[in-house]
Amino acid sequence: MSIMELNGGSVIAMVGKDCVAIASDLRLGNQALGLSSNFQRIFPVTDRIYVGLPGLGTDVHTLWEKFRFRVNMYTIKEEREIEPETFAHLVSSTLYEHRFGPYFIEPVIAGLAKTPSGGVKPFIAATDLIGCLNFAKDFVVAGTASSKLFGMAEGLWEPDLEPEDLFETISQALMNAVDRDAYSGWGCVVHVITKDKIVTRTLKGRMD
Amino acid sequence: MASANGGAYSYSLTVFSPSGKLVQIEHALAAVSQGTTSLGIKASNGIVIATEKKSSSILIDDSMVDKVAVICPNIGIVYSGMGPDFRILVNKARKSAQSYFKVYGEYPPTRVLTQEIATVMQEATQSGGVRPYGVSLLVAGWDINRGPTLYQVDPSGSFWAWKASAIGKNMVNAKTFLEKRIEDAIHTALLTLKEGFEGQMTEKTIEIGVVTVPTTDELEHAKTSPETGRPKPTFRKLTEEEVRDYLAL
Amino acid sequence: MATSSVYTPAGFNFSNQIRNTFLQERGVPLPKATSTGTTIVGCLFKDGVVLGADTRATEGDIVADKNCEKIHYITDSIRCCGAGTAADTEFTTALISSNMELHGLSTGRKPQVVTAMTMLKQMLFRYQGHVGAALVLGGVDATGPQLFTIHPHGSTDKLPYVTMGSGSLAAMAVFESGWQPNMTRDDALNLVKAAVAAGIFNDLGSGSNIDACIITATHTEMLRNVETPNERVQKERRYVFRRGTTAWKTESVRKLIVNEETTIIGGDAMDTS
Repeated sequence: MSIMELNGGSVIAMVGKDCVAIASDLRLGNQALGLSSNFQRIFPVTDRIYVGLPGLGTDVHTLWEKFRFRVNMYTIKEEREIEPETFAHLVSSTLYEHRFGPYFIEPVIAGLAKTPSGGVKPFIAATDLIGCLNFAKDFVVAGTASSKLFGMAEGLWEPDLEPEDLFETISQALMNAVDRDAYSGWGCVVHVITKDKIVTRTLKGRMD
Repeated sequence: MASANGGAYSYSLTVFSPSGKLVQIEHALAAVSQGTTSLGIKASNGIVIATEKKSSSILIDDSMVDKVAVICPNIGIVYSGMGPDFRILVNKARKSAQSYFKVYGEYPPTRVLTQEIATVMQEATQSGGVRPYGVSLLVAGWDINRGPTLYQVDPSGSFWAWKASAIGKNMVNAKTFLEKRIEDAIHTALLTLKEGFEGQMTEKTIEIGVVTVPTTDELEHAKTSPETGRPKPTFRKLTEEEVRDYLAL
Repeated sequence: MATSSVYTPAGFNFSNQIRNTFLQERGVPLPKATSTGTTIVGCLFKDGVVLGADTRATEGDIVADKNCEKIHYITDSIRCCGAGTAADTEFTTALISSNMELHGLSTGRKPQVVTAMTMLKQMLFRYQGHVGAALVLGGVDATGPQLFTIHPHGSTDKLPYVTMGSGSLAAMAVFESGWQPNMTRDDALNLVKAAVAAGIFNDLGSGSNIDACIITATHTEMLRNVETPNERVQKERRYVFRRGTTAWKTESVRKLIVNEETTIIGGDAMDTS
């Protein structure tokens, strides 16, 4: 058993037309034994950035508190909100700092970046457990169901999905992937981020 | 061991006088006001910083003298006061800019870098076994958030944002002159330097740095140069040829 | 500026080491990081150097990134291809690039390729191979075109044509049969493309597209995705689900736009005349 599979859990993020979505399952387990069906591993960083932290349960909280501290310090010192790309670099360098004794987390970042002309641009990224950034243009996945999520997303994703269609695509990709993963499941949560609102929905999933 | 905060055997030199002044800082400011004049002017589309570089002897190879320093692609600084102290601050500022880049993947905003330099200068007013830095700085830079900004940092570690400012020997006159005319920045900079300039003003005896504000179009399409994948520089020093052309105008 | 800064202190943090070695002793294997199986190559030609790389990143037997960038920026006229642990190649080259910029600023000259090579080998040797970066370093400086390979333990080679990574054997076969001294720019680029293509099609650790970078004394040309021999075909059908397919239990909406409504209390509007 790998330490990454101890508590289970998976996260996926997708780009749509002027929107992004990030979703995860809600299971926390001790290997095969389920412990919780309401374990949140996606956190709001700013109004328009969310981060998902699949991996070892204890590190989910430790790392999130670390990111919260560093983002708050950034906001106070620079008197501005952090941009998604800057946050991704912050995540990456924080993880690489622990190159020789890593946190067992593979973060997924989704957000809307401000463009110089005042519009928004979708942004997603993922890193491995030591902070190697992957800026994808379509979707990123991580967690125990990542191999299944790759397959689902590769098949279902298409460019320029409207927020409502993106919700269906990401939900179906996630639900069907975690149903084939013993360590993920027990319900899902989906966040769809658009220019002027964030819609959060919890999905009904298999409980076995 | 001498630590930054003052070990057991180091004593602070900067102590309050009964009247509430830190005399060492006032002396440092005196050192600054003996230094050559430097100035900075903010214009609608950029910033100009400029300084005299006069050598004490004609035997000195003035091509090796650098008074306007590039800190990172978007920020440059100029000083009045003690050259060696300036060099230390330039090195620290450059390192700070690089470590910021390594964490955030972008160079620091002008304000943040100015704050870092100011913190270093303040530490020298409250630590044991050190003296304050004998320089005032003008920090000119551009960032996406605040656009072009010009800061002055003093030996005490205090800093302000300016539309135009002058430091050094001729600062009082230069500031009065600047107040009268803020139009064409480079031209004004040259005229202001000329006020009270001793000797011939040539491309060899002054240095100029400029911040150019990128257009919205440039920002939208090429935040980074396609060739290098790096942020396009917004601060640069004018070459001697360019300075000569401006002087000829 | 270390004391006053809120930025992360320099160097690595070993605070999780005790926990992680404990887990390892209990028989829990430490997970794999993203690695670039990789074909990276470089070759000298008449007036410069050409670097080449594939664009596949792998995590075990999964392709983690189909189009990653393996040619890293060092200075305007020096680039470095990385193979091995992806994060290590990324951060090692970024660190050396940063030091080269400082070096350039303080010397006021264009830094040399050997300087970057020395910085890289000293760093990799210091970490005794634990920083898993295998690099191809190339560039042009005052001494002319330069090409090096740097191994994870810090040893270096200086050769006219080099390959690295899991696809290095396939790529070297192409170089050995096709390389000539004093090639033209176009011949060199084609040879590099053929060498990387050999890696892409014959080595499972390498794949997707070809990136190349041509560096001459006056100009650096980054050719991102210069060949895309593995383009995905157009999907024949759309797989968009009808809206409302997914059953959801709860919904919460966080509005980011604050609506302001002004209600005038009392009869007449204020007299402003």
